[in-house]
Parts: sequence; structure tokens; C-alpha cells
Amino acid sequence: MIRGIYAVVVLDLKRFWLERARLVAGLAQPLLYLFVLGAGLGASSRLGGGDYQRYIFPGVLALSLLFTATFAAITIVFDRQIGFFKAVLVAPVPRSAIALGKIAAGALQAFAQGLIVLPFAPLAGVRFGVAEAAELIGAMLLAAVTFSAIGVAFASRFTSTTVFPIVSNAVLLPMFFLSGALYPLAVAPPWMQAAAHFDPVAYAVDLMRGSLLGKFFFPVPLSLAVLAVVITLLAWAAVRVFNRGEDDSSLGATRFNWRR
Amino acid sequence: MEVRGLVKRYGAVEALRGIDLTVQPGERFALLGPNGAGKTTLFSILATLRAPTAGTARVMGRDVTMERDAVRREMGIVFQEPAIEQRLSGRDNLLLMGLFYGLKTSAARRRAAEILGQLGLAEAADRPAKTLSGGQRRKLELARALVSDPRILFLDEATLGLDVDARRGFWAQVRTLAAAGRTVFFTTHYMEEAEVADRIALIDAGRIVALDTPRALKARLGGGVIHLQTDDDAQARVWLRSRGLAPEPGGTEVMLVQADPAAVLPELLRALPVKVHRVVVNEPSLEDVFLKLTGRGLEGDAPPPAGGRTGAGERGAA
Repeated sequence: MIRGIYAVVVLDLKRFWLERARLVAGLAQPLLYLFVLGAGLGASSRLGGGDYQRYIFPGVLALSLLFTATFAAITIVFDRQIGFFKAVLVAPVPRSAIALGKIAAGALQAFAQGLIVLPFAPLAGVRFGVAEAAELIGAMLLAAVTFSAIGVAFASRFTSTTVFPIVSNAVLLPMFFLSGALYPLAVAPPWMQAAAHFDPVAYAVDLMRGSLLGKFFFPVPLSLAVLAVVITLLAWAAVRVFNRGEDDSSLGATRFNWRR
Repeated sequence: MEVRGLVKRYGAVEALRGIDLTVQPGERFALLGPNGAGKTTLFSILATLRAPTAGTARVMGRDVTMERDAVRREMGIVFQEPAIEQRLSGRDNLLLMGLFYGLKTSAARRRAAEILGQLGLAEAADRPAKTLSGGQRRKLELARALVSDPRILFLDEATLGLDVDARRGFWAQVRTLAAAGRTVFFTTHYMEEAEVADRIALIDAGRIVALDTPRALKARLGGGVIHLQTDDDAQARVWLRSRGLAPEPGGTEVMLVQADPAAVLPELLRALPVKVHRVVVNEPSLEDVFLKLTGRGLEGDAPPPAGGRTGAGERGAA
């Protein structure tokens, strides 16, 4: 099991390394939010330009993690179409190890992308010491695993590479906008505050922001508990989908659908 | 390997209708049949990729549905379609496969180097797989299947699309592996490849229609086969039948199985009322055997057009 997970992670990281240019390209979106949207909106917000950018920095970090993790999850859809995974399917590896390995690999890729956004913190007016940095990195890791689990749980249900991005945009963007990444939840309309309670991204953003700015919207234990439950549930859901292939005829069919 | 009463249904379609066969350890066993005969289905069940509707299959004594992982550890598979990550090098592909089979990184690395050397791929090992030649890529597939040092090797149309040289190189490797005591179970479209098998099962419409050594299969036809190309094959057949001979129905040429072709042929050519362009006499081929047993060739899709034969003549187009 552990070896299977490890093998999937090594495979995905080797492939990721082939496309390491994506790490640089992946900077474009968060920096755009931070320095263009942030500067523009900040100037008109009550917080003022500099303070606003400082405020949304953790949110932008979450954006970067969220999109990198889900993009990594799309490889599942591609994997079904390439042959290498057919060879993996006839190796003595539990399907659950493939699902969990995919979540781990996606989280690591997202975390790497997040680390690359981090050096831009001073430019956004964010200052932090060692203790804050350690807390932030912990929160980033937790967020990366959560987002990767979200991506894998979704991607495991799709066999078409064209449908998945559409669905993920219809789900990811609302989750991001509701999360309070770009505005304080405390002053948002009540319905948005209520909705944010059902949005895992909100808890992840809050943990990261709290570790930098010292102020949390949700109680920290609640956030940790919610994210742990979300990760467990989604990982379980993904494992179930991957396992379904074990004993029905769709498994390893020539087009390699885990699900038909 | 033991297969008993294997049935596979897809909805109303019965792809396998009760397959029984036993493959001995160390045997080279070929599965031959036209497209749609059930080869791929049987292959996928044995490879643990599909569950049978009924019946059992055991590989190295392990049940392919109940003891999947045990079966998977015993076998290596070369699929018809590529199953390597084309962007990674051959060495990385083998290393990763080693990890998937539970080897430690250092052991997987050693194993990869060992197999690459064994198959003569060492020089090409560090280039992305997609830059290799077709033959090298197929060898890399074989290398991938060998990472776990399997006792049984499954090859599904493993040399499809390769040129003759590359095919020969591939089979030379397989022969070496078989000589080392591995069981080799394979499907192929190339008759000369099937000839190297110890035994051959001919499969048609989900059933095994014959199972024997290549020699014994061909001996079933007895003697030799006369192939005639004439101005009017239909008329030639009618004439042959009127003389008490039994030409095979249909086909792009007239085919006649005879105990002693050399003795019959001179008289035949003198008396035939149609113009003969070309005569070929040969030992019966496996293709001929299949045609005789099922009334159609190996290359076509089932079922054959009325009175027609999809066979050797269309080999290039199949």
C-alpha cells in the first residue's frame, strides 16, 4: 500500500518535473490577482491599497494551491487514455493506493507552486517571522492536501478531458469567491457568511490568513477539524470510485475506464 | 495455467462460450482467431483485467478473480497498445514499474539496468521513450513486462505493425526467455510467429475449435494444398466438384486440399475448362487449417459475407 502510493507519487513528480516551466507560468494568475486586481480594488476599499494587498495575500496563495492541485488531478483523466496506467493496473498495487498516491502527488505539486508564490509576500507588504512562517507552511500543506483531495474526488468521476475543466470551473471559482479570499468574511452579507461555513476553501484561507495576520474568522480547532473531515471523506470517495473497477467489466477495458 | 468453462457475456452478447484449456509450465502457447473471436476478452480475463461471467481461470495455481494480486505478481504483460510513459526515459519507466511491484528504489534501479542490458537497450535507455524506434519501443515494453521477473509472460499482438527485422529481434528475445523456463502465452496475427508455439488454440466465435501442436493441426488437413488463380473461380469449383473433388467454398482463389497434390495436378491442369494464371502448391498453413475448420480466414471480422471468404488475399488490408 505505502509502496504503491510512493510509486504513484514518484511517477507524477517525474512527469511534473518534465513540465517544470509550468511552475513559472503558474505564477501569472496569483500575481495578477495580487498586484493588478489587488491594487485596483484596494485603492477603492476601506482598507486602502497596501493593506488590502496584505489582506488578500493568503487568499491568493490559496488560489494558487487550489488551481495547481486541481490541474494535477486532471492527469487522472489523461492517465485513463495513456497506456502506462494499464501496466500499473496489472501490477499488484491496490486501487486505493493509486487514489491516495494521486492525492499526495497533487498536494506536493500545489505546495511547490505555493512556495514559489511565497517570495512575493514582501512586495504585497506582508512581513512575517519564523514562527508565522512555520504556521503558514503547516496551513499551506493542509490546504494543499484538501484541494488535491477535492480535485481527485472530482477527476475520478470523469473520463473526458473536455468536461472536467468546465465542471471544475463551475465548482472551483464559486468555492474560491465564497471563501473570503478576496474580502473579509466578517463584513460580508449574512448569506455569504452562512455559505462560507460550507466551503472548505474558506477554512483553508482562514488558517493561512490567521497564521500571517493573527486574526481568525473561524475558531482554529474547528477549521482543523473541518479540513480533516473533508480530506477523509473525499479520499474515501475517490478510493471507492477507483476500487469499483476491481470487479466489474469496465476495469482496464481497452480505453481504460475505471467507471463506465 | 488452467481455464475451465470460462464464459463472458456483455449484455446479450456472449463473447466467450465456455473455454477450457490447460497450459503447461514452460510452454509457448499461441491463441489464434479472427477479430471478434474472443481473443481479447480471454486475454483480459487471464490478465486480471476483467471478471468472467462464469467459469474459473487459474494462473500458476492462483484464481484470477479471487487472488488477483498473487496472479499479478506472477505475470508480465505486453499489451497490443503502448504501455510506457512516452515522455520519460526507458530507464525511468522500468524504475517506476519496479516501484509499482514493491521493489525498493535501489533494487528497482539495479533491476532496470539489468533488464536493459539483457535486451540490448542500454544505449537507448536514457532517451525519452518517444524518440526510440518502433522495434526498440516494443523491446522496452517487453522489458517493462520483465521487471517483476514473471514466471508467465502474456503477449497480446506484441509485434503488430513492426517490420520483419524488428519482429525477428523481438521473438529472438522471447525465445531466450522461454528457454529459461518461462511460460509464454500469446496472440498474434502473423502465422510464422504462431508456428514457434508448442501448442496453438484456434478460437472462433467464443469457442476453441482446435487445440494442438502446429504440426498436428496441419496434419489434420493431410497432404498439401493447391491454390489456383483462374479466369473464373466459380466455374472451376463447379467443375472440380463434378469430378468428385472438394474445393473449399469461397475465397479469392480456388483452394483444394489433396493427399498427394503433385500426382493430381498435371491431370487437373490439362482438363480444367478455365484458364489458370497461377498455381501454388504448399504444405497446409495454419491459415488453411483455420479456413477448413471454420469456413473463413483468420484476418476477417466475423461473420463472413455469403459465399465470400475474407482471408489471405486481404491480409494487407486487415
